[in-house]
Amino acid sequence: MSKEQEIEDLDTLKFIALGGGNEVGRSCHILEYKGKVIMLDAGVHPAYTGISALPFYDDYDLSKVDILLISHFHLDHAASLPFVMQHTEFKGRVFMTHPTKAIYRYLLGDFVKVTSISSGGNGSGANTSAALYTDEDLVQSFDRIETVDYHSTIECDGIRFTAYHAGHVLGAAMYFIEIGGLKILFTGDFSREESRHLNAAEVPPLKPDLLIAESTFGTATHEPRQEKELRLTNLIHSTLVKGGRVLLPVFALGTAQELMLILEDYWNQHANLEHVNIYFASSLAKKCLPVFQAYVNMMNDNIRRQFRDTNTNPFQFRHIKNIKNLDKFEDFGPCVVVAAPGMLQNGVSRDLLERWAPDAKNSVILTGYSVEGTLAKNLITEPDMIPSQANPDQMIPRRLTIEEISFAAHVDYEQNAKFIDEVDPKTIILVHGESNPMGRLKSALLSKYSKFKGTDNEVKVYNPKNCDEVFLKFKGLKIIKALGS
Amino acid sequence: MSSAIFYRFRSQKNTSRIFFDGTGITVFDLKKEIINENKLGDGSGFELRLYNNDTEEEYADDTVVIPRSTSVVARRSPPSRGGRSNASRYVTGKPRIVKT
Ligand SMILES: [Zn+2]
Ligand SMILES: [Zn+2]
Repeated sequence: MSKEQEIEDLDTLKFIALGGGNEVGRSCHILEYKGKVIMLDAGVHPAYTGISALPFYDDYDLSKVDILLISHFHLDHAASLPFVMQHTEFKGRVFMTHPTKAIYRYLLGDFVKVTSISSGGNGSGANTSAALYTDEDLVQSFDRIETVDYHSTIECDGIRFTAYHAGHVLGAAMYFIEIGGLKILFTGDFSREESRHLNAAEVPPLKPDLLIAESTFGTATHEPRQEKELRLTNLIHSTLVKGGRVLLPVFALGTAQELMLILEDYWNQHANLEHVNIYFASSLAKKCLPVFQAYVNMMNDNIRRQFRDTNTNPFQFRHIKNIKNLDKFEDFGPCVVVAAPGMLQNGVSRDLLERWAPDAKNSVILTGYSVEGTLAKNLITEPDMIPSQANPDQMIPRRLTIEEISFAAHVDYEQNAKFIDEVDPKTIILVHGESNPMGRLKSALLSKYSKFKGTDNEVKVYNPKNCDEVFLKFKGLKIIKALGS
Repeated sequence: MSSAIFYRFRSQKNTSRIFFDGTGITVFDLKKEIINENKLGDGSGFELRLYNNDTEEEYADDTVVIPRSTSVVARRSPPSRGGRSNASRYVTGKPRIVKT
């Protein structure tokens, strides 16, 4: 007689955030399960430079990592990848989507230059204390990065994973991972709202046992899209009308393209602004223009239709001039400048802020997420003075208007909670959020699912700090045929 | 400066050197030099631990003198004990003495 026995098997998954645990920045998460090790993202922290900006790599043996999945090109998810590949004992395989890899090359080339210069180096990447890696490192590691298509399942050494659209920025992915029967979904950074150029994130077809979710906006609620755009254009228009200049500090890629689509649209509809110049100070974005055009098929229907109908790159704007730097910038009157970096640490956006801050007619509009420790975060408190880049002891009077209108494409509470409902995980690990908003999100979720507490359907929520090990037991089912059958 | 200690960060491949005069350097001073050399800032965002490369023992007492030419492994970790324990004392000045 044959018998099949189901035996419940408890296997333990170990999760460690080497970065991005109770913070935003330097995302890097380790998953250990049944002898396999997966690393999710390898970022840097935008508020620090050099080794301080790295995830806490010293607290984990990177030679154990089998695969490293990069969710998207943002620096807080991808910028320490060359360091990991060239300077540590990491010997695993690295994966990202095609547009992510295409943009990554230019983006990190720019990052190396920026970090070298700001640390006092001569821009060649030679100042080793602040520059984490050189252009040489980038070149040498580049070809070893493997690319994946959305919806294609990759099988690698007993691990299966599939990339799904995450919205947020071009090429951003959520990863659905399967190891030894356990299903895990990592959201990366994601948005559940369609933007001007991207679709909302997808809900993967299978339900995960474990969800690792971003918590940037905690329990906050986003302003409706149209209201935000109206507030933005109204403030810009009124600043220009009273003779002021508008500064929009942005990261070169992502929100910048969204803002420019909004501005171009607005300028098209307001002939009286024809003579007012909009500048976009970013040579990096200019280099990436062909990438945006090449991957139009990954964007939403609006953009694709626009591209089909006009046969022009929808990211090449009639009303916006691309400038490399401020050398030839004629600062004569009302204008709008969209400039990097987004958190005003240095560069063109910082130069302009210092130049324009003393005049009350001017405005600065913060449209991205500002990380703790950056000037942008401090600016939200509307200080009377800001420190000069050149000499931090020297203070510059701040009279210009400061406004925060977030276009950072992250889910808000409602969107995140609804997504979690649809995805229906029994265990959730929160990452990528400052302590307070993350804590509030955890409470809200536990409260929401409190009726399941103590039952088989209980939902557990974790919010680990960096390097705190989380051990999770999952019931696996093993079917054994009895001997003699 | 005639003497050196070899060190590397636990996750990194490359080894660097800290130079000094004399036959040895205290753990305190060595940590201070490493923090300085690598521009790790004011020490508030991390803990720095040093280990002997061969024995893997931690140099827990700041006042211990490490002989020149020793190889040391440095480990940068998040601040512990709820954020109260970090590396800022190496930047501001006071060594911690471990009672035996
Ligand atoms: Zn992002
Ligand atoms: Zn992020």
